[in-house]
Amino acid sequence: MTDAADLERGYRRWLRWYPKSFRREHEAEILEVLMAGAREGQRQPEPMECLDLMRSALWMRLRPRVPRSNRSACNAVKLMYVGAVVELAAAIVILATIGDVRSNVVKRNPGLTEAQWHAVVAGQLEPTAVAACIAIGFWLWMAWSIGRGHRWARIVFALFFGLNTYGLLNGLAGGSAVYARPDLAIGIVLWLVELAAVALIFHVKFAVSQSGATPLTPGG
Amino acid sequence: MAKRTMQEATFLILTALAAGSQHGYGIIADVAKISDGRVRLRAGTLYSALDRLRLDGLISVDREEIVENRLRRYYRLTPEGGTQLATEAARFQSNAAAAFARLGLAGG
Repeated sequence: MTDAADLERGYRRWLRWYPKSFRREHEAEILEVLMAGAREGQRQPEPMECLDLMRSALWMRLRPRVPRSNRSACNAVKLMYVGAVVELAAAIVILATIGDVRSNVVKRNPGLTEAQWHAVVAGQLEPTAVAACIAIGFWLWMAWSIGRGHRWARIVFALFFGLNTYGLLNGLAGGSAVYARPDLAIGIVLWLVELAAVALIFHVKFAVSQSGATPLTPGG
Repeated sequence: MAKRTMQEATFLILTALAAGSQHGYGIIADVAKISDGRVRLRAGTLYSALDRLRLDGLISVDREEIVENRLRRYYRLTPEGGTQLATEAARFQSNAAAAFARLGLAGG
């Protein structure tokens, strides 16, 4: 086996970090560049070159694929990140104010037993906090999906919005305006972010301008 | 809202393509030359930037060649890419002129 063949095999292994579709289109030309930049007699890939390939490949998998000129899609992706941050804030507020909720409930319902109070926390607040943590992952997944131009993400997000609207109304019916005002406040902020995101992702410009890059054909 | 500033590597890649179409290794060599050897692009960084620029419509594929059984793809600047490069170059020039003026030096 020649030095060049060894080197090429080594670089091909590192190029596997890239998404398949990208590799199909660019692997041959990236290899050409890597081989052209290799030293005489080099058998192993340069460590810095490998790190750069790995970093670029991961970024290629994560970054949005919508053109920057498509403002509505780019803003929708940004809003999803904002949503993740607000969701995190909501989880923190819920956990941080459990004690306040308890004292409010106890103050207004002196006859409440420990078991009944525990049912309020274990049955409502803790699941809400856990759901908020899961929802952070959901927001990030939506940011990735919308950034990749997946149209189904709009439907999934609309369902999520519907579910959260129901949750907010259910909380109001359960007395959150009386017992858990900070939770209600952050819930309303989150709902407003979701409302803005729904309005944005269903914006007509988003729907028609997801075509992506110019074709990979000469003169395209 | 202020427009996003172009990264130096992106600016240098567009500058390398301003004189005519080039393939990947040609761009790397030209960027090193333009920057006096200060910026040495690696293949991963280059193709990440080329992919983004193509997505944004600032460059496109000009032609392909097979040299010694290897694919060479040539990229060229689009009219939109030329406009953005000129805008960015004017901004750099204006900022540099202001800096030189305040330092009491002749414009570079």
